[in-house]
Amino acid sequence: MSVGAMVTFAVIGLYVWGGFLALLTRAIRREGEKERSSS
Amino acid sequence: MSQTEQFGSRWGLVLATLGMAVGTGNIWRFPRVVATNGGGSFLVAWAVFLLIWSVPLMIVEFSFGKAARRGTVGAFAKLSGGGTTWMGGWVALCATAIMFYYSVVSGWCIRYLVASLDGELKGESPGTLWSKFTGSSQPLLTHAIALALGVAVVWFGVRGIERVAKLLIPTLFVLVIILAVRAITLPGAVRGLEFLFQPNWGNLAHVDVWLQALTQNAWDTGAGWGLILTYAIYMRAREDVPLNAFLIGFGNNSVSLLAGIMVLCTVFANNPGAQSQIVGAGNEGLTFTWMPQLFAHMPAGGVFMVIFFLALSFAALTSLISMIELATRVLIDLGLERRKAILWVAAAGLVFGAPSALSIKFLHNQDWVWGVGLMLSGLFFAWGARRFGLERLRRDVVNAPGHDLEIGSWWSFLVRVIVPVEAVVLMVWWLWQASSGSEHLAWLNPLREDSAGTVLLQWALAIIALLAMNRWLNRRLENTERRSATAQGPNEGGAA
Repeated sequence: MSVGAMVTFAVIGLYVWGGFLALLTRAIRREGEKERSSS
Repeated sequence: MSQTEQFGSRWGLVLATLGMAVGTGNIWRFPRVVATNGGGSFLVAWAVFLLIWSVPLMIVEFSFGKAARRGTVGAFAKLSGGGTTWMGGWVALCATAIMFYYSVVSGWCIRYLVASLDGELKGESPGTLWSKFTGSSQPLLTHAIALALGVAVVWFGVRGIERVAKLLIPTLFVLVIILAVRAITLPGAVRGLEFLFQPNWGNLAHVDVWLQALTQNAWDTGAGWGLILTYAIYMRAREDVPLNAFLIGFGNNSVSLLAGIMVLCTVFANNPGAQSQIVGAGNEGLTFTWMPQLFAHMPAGGVFMVIFFLALSFAALTSLISMIELATRVLIDLGLERRKAILWVAAAGLVFGAPSALSIKFLHNQDWVWGVGLMLSGLFFAWGARRFGLERLRRDVVNAPGHDLEIGSWWSFLVRVIVPVEAVVLMVWWLWQASSGSEHLAWLNPLREDSAGTVLLQWALAIIALLAMNRWLNRRLENTERRSATAQGPNEGGAA
C-alpha cells in the first residue's frame, strides 16, 4: 500500500471511526452523570 | 398535542435512529460511488459534507420533532406557520413514495438471504437467479413480506421500534465488522484498500466529485428525509439534541466506511481484473449478481454470503420501519387512530409498491424522482427552521437543558446559507445531468424513466395537490389538537 493511501486511511479512519467512538463515549459518560444526578 | 409514547432510554432513540440512517445505500451505493469518484479524495469531500449538510439538518429535524411533538406535516404547521404545512406534506410524500419501492428492495434482500441460506445461489451462474426472480411475480410476494414485517413492528408503537432496533442494530454492526475483517484478511485485499484510500488530489478540482459526495451524504444519512423528526417526537423531554445528531451522522458514516472496505477488498481479492465492471454494474448488479459470485470464490464463502445478506436485510428493514412510522404518524396527526393509520399505510404500500415490484424500470423512475426530491425536502427544512427563527430554535430547543454539546452560531449560518445553496446546486446539477447528452428535448419527456421531465412533472403534480390541500390539512391538524387537548385536560401541553 502506498504512503498516500496509508495516510488517507489513517486520517479518514480516525475522523470517522475515532469521531464516532469519541461521541459514543461522551454520550455514555453524560448519560451516567444524568442518572446519578437524578437518583 | 401531548406525547404519551416515548423511547425508554437515550439508547433506544439512538439505535432506532441509526437503524433509520443505515440502509442499503451504505452497503451497495457507497462502495461503488467511492470507487468511481477517485477513492481517497472522494472520502475527503464526503467527510466535509457530513459536517455541512447532514449534521446541521439532523439537528434541525431533532429540534422540530422535539419541539412540535408532531409528524412532518404538523411540525411545519406548528413551528413554521400554517402557510408552510404543504412543505411538511412534501417531506412526508417524498419519504412515503420512497417507502413504496424501498419495501420492494427490502423484499429482494430477504429473497437473497433465503437463497444464500438454502444454497440456491451456489448452483446458479451469476445473474441467473436475479433474472429469473425479477422476471417473475415473486418480487410482489417478497415486497408484501417485507412490508408485513415492517408493519408488524410499527403496530406495537415506539416501544416495538425500540425493541427491534436494540436487537438488530448492534447485530448489524457486528455483522459488518465481521465481513470487513474477513475481507481485509483475504489474500490480495490490500489492493482494495489501496484503491479505496489512494488519494488523487487532482480529483478535488472536479465539481462532480464534490457533488457526488454531497449526494451520498444526502441519501445515506437520512438527513432532511423527515425520519429523524418522526423519531424525535418520542424523545424524552430533557433529551439531548446535538450530541445525538453528531452520533447518528458519524455512526452512519462508520458503517459506510466499513462497507466500502468490505466490498472493495472482496472484489480485489477475488476478481481484480473485473473491478471496473463490478463497480459499474449498478446497485443491484453489484449486490445481487457480483457479490454472490465473489463469495463463491472465498473459503467458507457460503457462511459469509449469509452474513452479508443478513446484514443487508437488517439494514433495509430498520430503514423501512422508520418510513412506515413516518407515514403512520402523519395520519395520526390528521385524526386517525394509530392502528387504523397503520392499516391505511400498509394498504397504500402494498398497492403503490406493486408497480415497482413488477417493473425495475418503474422502481428506477421512482428512485430518481423522489431521490432528487429529498434535496427539496432538505431545502424546506432549512426554510422552515429559518421561519421559526434559527437563533430561537438554537436557544430554546438545541441548547435546551439536558443538552450534552453546546451548538454555536455556526450552525445557524450553515442552515441559513450553506444548506439552501447545497440543496439548490444539487437539484440543478442532477437535473442538468439528466438533460445533458440527450437528444433534442428528449430530456423533457416525462415518460422516460430517467429524464428531467419525469421529475418536473411528478413534482409539479405533487406540489399543486399539496398546495390545494394546505387549508384542509391545517383544519384537520387543529381539530385533532383540539380533541386531544379536550381529552387530556388543561394542564398537559407540548414539550417545547
